[in-house]
Amino acid sequence: MKAVFIVFNQANTERVEYMLDHEGVRGFSWWENVQGRGSNTGEPRKGTHTWPEMNSALIAIVPDEKVKPILKSVKNMDSINEEVGVKAFVWNIEEMI
Amino acid sequence: MSIYKSAVQKPITTMMIFVAVMVIGIYSLTRLPIDMYPEIEPPFISVMTLYTGANAADIEINVTKPIEDRLASVDKLKEITSASYDNMSVVTLEFQWEANLDEAVSDVRNSLDWVLSSLPDDAERPNVFKFNTSMMPIMFFSVTADHSYSGLEKILDQKVVNALNRIDGIGSVSIVGAPKRVVYVDLNQTKMDAYKLTVEQIGNVITAENLNVPSGNVKMGMDDYQLRVEGEFRESSEIKELLVGNYLGKNIYLKDIASVRDTIKDISLDQRVDGKQGLNMMVSKQSGANTVKIASAVKKELEKIKPTLPPDIVVDEVFDSSKFIENSISNLSETLMYEFLFVILVVLFFLGRWRAMLIIVITIPVSLLCSFIYLAVTGNSINIISLASLSIAIGMVVDDAIVVLENITRHVERGGSLRESAIYATNEVWLSVIATTLVVAAVFVPLTMISGMMGVMFKQLGWIVTIAVVTSTVAAITIVPMLASKFMKVKPANRKFMRFGYVNTVGRLLDFIDRGYAKILSWCLTHKKIVIPALLFVFVSSMYTLKFVGIDFMPQADQGRLTAMIELQTGTRVEETMKTVRDFEKVVREKYPEVTTISSSTGSNDEGGVSALFSTNGSNISNITFRLVDLKDRKRSVFQIAEEMRADLKKYPEIINYSVTAASGGIGGGSGDNSISVEIFGYDFDKTNKVAAELKRRIDTIKGAANVQISRKNDRPELQIRFDKEKLRQHGLTSSSVSMSVRNRVDGMISGHLREEGEEYDIIVRLEEDSRNSIQKLEEMTVSTPQGEQIKLRELGKVEEYWSPPNISHKRKERIVTISVTPSGVPLGTIAGQIQEIIAQTEIPQELLVSIGGSYEDLQESNQNMALLMLMSLMLVFIVMASQFESFSSPFVIMFSIPFSFAGSFLALFLTGTTMDMIAMLGMILLIGIVVKNGIVLVDYINLMRDRGMKLYEAIAVSGRSRLRPVLMTALTTILGMLPMALSTGEGSEIWVPMGISVIGGLTFSTMITLIVVPVMYAIVSKSGERDKNRKIRKRFKFLDENETGN
Repeated sequence: MKAVFIVFNQANTERVEYMLDHEGVRGFSWWENVQGRGSNTGEPRKGTHTWPEMNSALIAIVPDEKVKPILKSVKNMDSINEEVGVKAFVWNIEEMI
Repeated sequence: MSIYKSAVQKPITTMMIFVAVMVIGIYSLTRLPIDMYPEIEPPFISVMTLYTGANAADIEINVTKPIEDRLASVDKLKEITSASYDNMSVVTLEFQWEANLDEAVSDVRNSLDWVLSSLPDDAERPNVFKFNTSMMPIMFFSVTADHSYSGLEKILDQKVVNALNRIDGIGSVSIVGAPKRVVYVDLNQTKMDAYKLTVEQIGNVITAENLNVPSGNVKMGMDDYQLRVEGEFRESSEIKELLVGNYLGKNIYLKDIASVRDTIKDISLDQRVDGKQGLNMMVSKQSGANTVKIASAVKKELEKIKPTLPPDIVVDEVFDSSKFIENSISNLSETLMYEFLFVILVVLFFLGRWRAMLIIVITIPVSLLCSFIYLAVTGNSINIISLASLSIAIGMVVDDAIVVLENITRHVERGGSLRESAIYATNEVWLSVIATTLVVAAVFVPLTMISGMMGVMFKQLGWIVTIAVVTSTVAAITIVPMLASKFMKVKPANRKFMRFGYVNTVGRLLDFIDRGYAKILSWCLTHKKIVIPALLFVFVSSMYTLKFVGIDFMPQADQGRLTAMIELQTGTRVEETMKTVRDFEKVVREKYPEVTTISSSTGSNDEGGVSALFSTNGSNISNITFRLVDLKDRKRSVFQIAEEMRADLKKYPEIINYSVTAASGGIGGGSGDNSISVEIFGYDFDKTNKVAAELKRRIDTIKGAANVQISRKNDRPELQIRFDKEKLRQHGLTSSSVSMSVRNRVDGMISGHLREEGEEYDIIVRLEEDSRNSIQKLEEMTVSTPQGEQIKLRELGKVEEYWSPPNISHKRKERIVTISVTPSGVPLGTIAGQIQEIIAQTEIPQELLVSIGGSYEDLQESNQNMALLMLMSLMLVFIVMASQFESFSSPFVIMFSIPFSFAGSFLALFLTGTTMDMIAMLGMILLIGIVVKNGIVLVDYINLMRDRGMKLYEAIAVSGRSRLRPVLMTALTTILGMLPMALSTGEGSEIWVPMGISVIGGLTFSTMITLIVVPVMYAIVSKSGERDKNRKIRKRFKFLDENETGN
């Protein structure tokens, strides 16, 4: 099992929701408002007057074979417009109950 | 959940709410009455007291003074004035505008109760009148007739007045100058002397013969009959057959000593329409009723009635206030339509997208309809103030929608999905959209708090604009994102553009302007030392033009109506005055083809009384009204014609005084006239008269001073009978009994009525004219003593000629003479200045006080109000901006553009030769809102760019370039919107042209300046401040650096 952590511009909400359904990811946890800043070019998302945009984030624990299609979808989504921004991070799950 | 999110997620609910608002708005619109101005209740109360037999001076001391003294302490009283005439005292109280008149009336009544005991016994109880705008007639008709003239009153009463009174909303229909039928018994003094008869005896005989007496019941068989003696005259011809006495055994009939005329009352008032004998019919409405609707109903009804009238009776319309209202309103509505169109075009031009434009302009009807709901709920009407307010609002209501939609477009173009973009883009801008709306509200809400006449007008304006702008903001963050999420089209980023499509034509032009502006801006930023002095020079030199801009109170509108007053030598007979009037009418017919109807009223109505409150009249005075053809069908304006008529009147040697006034759409009745009055306070008649005459002579020489009038009329010749008290006593007579007899002989004694078809006509017994038309004949009159002796008046006293002042006016309880001046072609302020100089040069006795009042006083008062208002607006705007930017300096940067906008207004007024008046000043207050809004857009963006880490100049240049289009758009929608207003020439346009000009001038000028001044000032103000801030922050987090160096 792997944990997939996706952080994305709120403007991508609809797409992410659709993607989860599309990839058959049923379980996830979702943070509606998340602040952040890209490592290289990504603009800050702070929900302030200066940087009004905000991110959302979700974490989904998925079987190993689902990780690849998810990352591919994320990549496709990001390529629509990189300015908007969506990122995915994956790591191992040691145990689950 | 936020409002915009809900709106986007529940599009149908959102849609339905707006549809509901619009439906209510349309319903309100259909229910709103149409009127010229908002309803104004002028705060005037008059107290009229009749005291028959006293002359003006007696009235002044015995009636006016005690009343004045008591009423001077009534609550909320602003000014007390009075006029004492022969037989009548009129005290007029002006209250503060916010006073409750009903309370005031009851206060006045209570105070009068205290005075009653100190008034002369014969004085009648004072009457209290409350003025009301609905008392002002909305329509005037003239009625002329040939052979039906004598029966005119009855015909009109039955057929016209009754029918019109049935129309819903009609206040009253009154007829002025109608011929009244009376039966005159003209006695011959010599014949009466011969038969030893007196006027009183004959009068009593007539009364006694003219009786119906119920005389009990008669029971006959099974029936019960009423018994009546029917002695009343059936026809006037019966009267002359009456037996009035017996002399030497012979019966004397009335016809032996008198002639009986069944005729119309002797004229002392001559009403003519186009030279034909006629009368005036005035129609007034109930307060709150729809003038336009009533007027058309009246016209329709009259068309129905006309065929039933005798063919020689002609009913003509002299004045119809609804026509002017209708034309003004339709002009203004047309202007509104043009504005709508211009706004659409501007939005389309800058955005280049059909759908975006449609989404934006939907806010216009929504906001306007919301204003109509406000009008309907508060019981207001559609009038030129509310429509002008809407036309101001129309350019502003799209601004918020533009900002929101622009941001949504940006998000969509970045590749976001429609629904998400709509929500998140609105989230980004909604706060700043609300802040700019608050700024506009900060300018307009103070308008709702002014008191006085201006307050009545501006209250509507303030509310309407505030409501429209607030609605538009609500719409911008609800329905605009909702519509955008549904109807906007996502365009592929790299599609091909048509060769002559929008992007390749207008788009390129706009890009070119953007680039040009960015270049100019960066040059200005690096050459501040040249730019600042240059701007200052431009500012100072355009402010200098203010010196040449005239100042007026209210604009005068051409209503196509003129009134003239002609005064001949005091004491001239009506018949003589009429001759002059006829002659003048002939001249007018020849020289002024524009005149369609002339209606004149010469002499005074012998019922007197109330009419004296409204106009001066007398046998030597004629009031003439001219109606002109529609504005578009003539070249000369009403003001030019008035000017030329004055020149014509000057040529008549017999006319000693005249005035020609262009009736203007004044607000609140009389106070709308644009005049200056010089007030001379002082007790001594001779001294004040002398000063008044001297001032009038000098003021007459001022260019542009027309209708110079002195309020105190010339002394009037009077015949007085002076009794010898000793002789009266010898004959057992008293002054009062003799004066009663004299009155019966000259004025006549009413001896009952002739009843015919339910109408009563007076029977008046008096001496025939031949027996009472000279001093000698008056002295020949016979009166009878208690002993039955007959004695000539000559035996009892003398008839002498005297001069007496016909009226005495007071202001603030002091005697006053006013000289009123109407400016003609020259601004009010200029003339007032010249008059002040004249007063300073004239030698005035120490006990007299001379001051300037009238519209000039109002002007100064409202100037103060305006200044206060402007200050308050500025402060509120500052407060809103300071809290929005969380800074004291940014608001200052923005407010630097305000003086430039004023300078631009002055320049525009100067260049177009328009005078500055209340309406133009109002335009300038609006400018504060619009200009500041532009500044906020710019500064906000610069702040944003700097916060995002840009360098100062870079931030300024980038922001300037990116905000140029929104700023130009806002300015252009307003400027082009006002253009039809400034250029309109139709009826009523004079009122709003100055506002259009001042807004266009101010906005054009200040937009250009704002785009330079604000960035430059920003650079100057914030340079060092930011650097210091960074240094301070570094100091606070010094420990980090220490750590590094420690390693």
